[in-house]
Amino acid sequence: MTEPRLNRRTFLQLSGVSSAALALGVAAPAEALAAVEATAAGEHVPDGVFGLGVASGDPSTSSVVLWTRLAPQPLAPDGHGGMPPRPVPVRYEVATDESFRQVVRRGAAVASPELAHSVHPQVDRLEPGREYFYRFHVGRQVSPTGRTKTLPASADAVFRFATASCQAWYHGHFTAYRHLVAEDVDAVVFLGDYIYEYGITSSNLWRQGAAVTPEHGVEIQTLEQFRLRYSLFKTDPHLQAAHAAAPWIVTWDDHEVQNNYGADGSRYGVSPEHFVHLRAVGYRAFYENLPVSLSALPEGPDSTVYRRFGDGGLVRLHVLDTRQYRDPLPMDAADQNREDWTILGTDQEAWLYDGLATSPARWNVIANGVTVAAITTNRTDQWDGYPANRRRLLAAMQTTNNPVVLTGDIHRHVAAELKADFADPASATVGVELICTSIASDGDGAPTDAYTPDWVQHPYVKLYDGRRGYVHVTLTPEAMTSEFKIVPWVEADATAPLETVARFVTPAGAPGLERLP
Amino acid sequence: MSGRHVRTVTGLRAEGQLGRIVLDWTPVPWDTVVDHYAVYGAPDAADVEVSPATLLTKTVYPRFVHGSLGGNARRFAYRVVTVDAAGARSRPSAPLAASSQVSVTSTGSPLAVVGRYDGKGLEFALSPNGYSRYPATFPNGVDFRVGTDAPGTGWSYLQPGPADSWAGRRTHTFRLRFDLTAAPAGEMWLAIWLIDSHATIPGSAVLDVNGTTVDRLRFEGGATRGSLEGDATVPGTRLRPSYLERPLPAGLFRPGENVLTLVKDEGSWIAWDAIGLFEV
Repeated sequence: MTEPRLNRRTFLQLSGVSSAALALGVAAPAEALAAVEATAAGEHVPDGVFGLGVASGDPSTSSVVLWTRLAPQPLAPDGHGGMPPRPVPVRYEVATDESFRQVVRRGAAVASPELAHSVHPQVDRLEPGREYFYRFHVGRQVSPTGRTKTLPASADAVFRFATASCQAWYHGHFTAYRHLVAEDVDAVVFLGDYIYEYGITSSNLWRQGAAVTPEHGVEIQTLEQFRLRYSLFKTDPHLQAAHAAAPWIVTWDDHEVQNNYGADGSRYGVSPEHFVHLRAVGYRAFYENLPVSLSALPEGPDSTVYRRFGDGGLVRLHVLDTRQYRDPLPMDAADQNREDWTILGTDQEAWLYDGLATSPARWNVIANGVTVAAITTNRTDQWDGYPANRRRLLAAMQTTNNPVVLTGDIHRHVAAELKADFADPASATVGVELICTSIASDGDGAPTDAYTPDWVQHPYVKLYDGRRGYVHVTLTPEAMTSEFKIVPWVEADATAPLETVARFVTPAGAPGLERLP
Repeated sequence: MSGRHVRTVTGLRAEGQLGRIVLDWTPVPWDTVVDHYAVYGAPDAADVEVSPATLLTKTVYPRFVHGSLGGNARRFAYRVVTVDAAGARSRPSAPLAASSQVSVTSTGSPLAVVGRYDGKGLEFALSPNGYSRYPATFPNGVDFRVGTDAPGTGWSYLQPGPADSWAGRRTHTFRLRFDLTAAPAGEMWLAIWLIDSHATIPGSAVLDVNGTTVDRLRFEGGATRGSLEGDATVPGTRLRPSYLERPLPAGLFRPGENVLTLVKDEGSWIAWDAIGLFEV
């Protein structure tokens, strides 16, 4: 996997107070911790510092990133969560049992105001495919306990995960997470739109029983507004529970910065020269609020979130960034059909194709922001806007074992077979795409809607459902089973039951979607 | 953290325009993680005290358009403070004062006006977000008679263009009819204020007065928000108003009925604040 460790080289690259503070959010050397604790001695830290919960993420076969962000008042308008403007020592422990009798790792990090008092300690030297429990301590305060799990190393393992995306808090309750927590998943793959940047007003606040103060009513732009927006969404107890239940592997789509942006291009009249400043704070807040490794810490307006997990064996996950490096939305058919047009960017394309071709894993899972399958030529924000790049991806998928694409973005469940040549629907199926619907975006939804015909016109689209939910996936050496789950409503309350609208099996070595009864 | 040095912005510049003053400055280098720049302003002053009471905006961009200043020339003093990711603040920038330009809506005599020049389009038909009803409500565009028709029913808040699929991907014509008792003696000015426009393809419209083509009016790019919200004076608004004022050739107007026609035959929509003719 990509090396996120805070090694000596990384330390040497960091200089100055601010950079050191950033690094200390990952691992605090004893002398640094002692200095911070001496400074903090006697100073009061408000009660309730774990108001945003705990999380883990970026699992490998031997490591995991832990996360918390101290915020006794999560909705403090300045985005600092009610924390004093000074560093606070945070200790953590990792155990093999929920009651922490068998603690296998202890460590510390420093929560600094530069990072909104978030910490991202990386825990190494863990056993593969094993469940662990973790918690944080700040003074006498103890966090809720989180459960995490390393990736399996064995080719004979079973790996269960769920995919989720698009959680517009204001459109509904996160009922889907309530059900997801009850599943026994080894990981959650989040496929983008963790927050939305829009102002929250009476016209889009469909989550019944919820109310927001005026500072949430405008489109977010400053870092304090982005931090506050993450806090608001994280006040949902089911989201916090889902983070505490399993490690998350997260990528972003557009709304972590601005609707439908691409690279430095805004659809809303912000010049590229200015837009990078918005991207910088959006990416910064993403790092601060999610359990991602240090490699995702932005440098100015740039952040590397494409990365790879899994040593081989059963599964390797290739996590993509389909926003930061894309060419502009095509203005005409000539642009759209240019052979050099790219949605991934040259470097990420090379990285992906190399990683697919050399992967020894049984299953190669590609976590991706926007739909790969060909739907309509005017869906230019998706891979439909970049058909030459799609052809290159489909060719690369034929160099690897059992490729599976995971997608979010469209607020609909869709299951599709990926064709070697979408111009010829009779061409070979080279992989499958599992598109998960939204957690809450677009409110209750319905099984079908005005967009249904665009999708189901294609013989390679095997499912369409416009309600909220998630996808549950089980990987074994022999087959992948995907289950598309929905909740009938999200606007009224969080009590809706869970339904499975479709189940498919994909045998290893035989790409396709066989629907199960 | 408190006590740390945070860089102060440099290169603060200001340009007074119609209805607005545009400030920009040199952003601090990327090694300072900026939460936002806080812009402070005070009217009719050479300097401004940095305090919550004088805070005009917080922006992540090295630019601030102090808009919705109205038609009179307004003078403001400004300072900018950098706030970093830890919440630490820089020393204020040096002060800078500038004035907006006066509008013909303040200096001229109105002969025909639709709407109020107030940064809002809420008085118009279908405002603030009823664009989907435009094709049924205005199948032949707008034909508005001053003194007879009401803006709330007779003048659409948006004027679509041929790039708008929701409006049939065709040209859209707005006509403004008004009576004059005599041919105007002074210079005639057209004043168009928009609360917003499409960000990337605001396009242009052909202006015609009494059957004579005058010119093609090109619109500034907005923020593509004015189809959904109608008040550019709300704090924190993302609407991007623009202003177009220009003299018209002599001899176009006559006693009796006059017709001013705008044919939006290029680009996407514009969102109206007000339109009017003024004699100077």
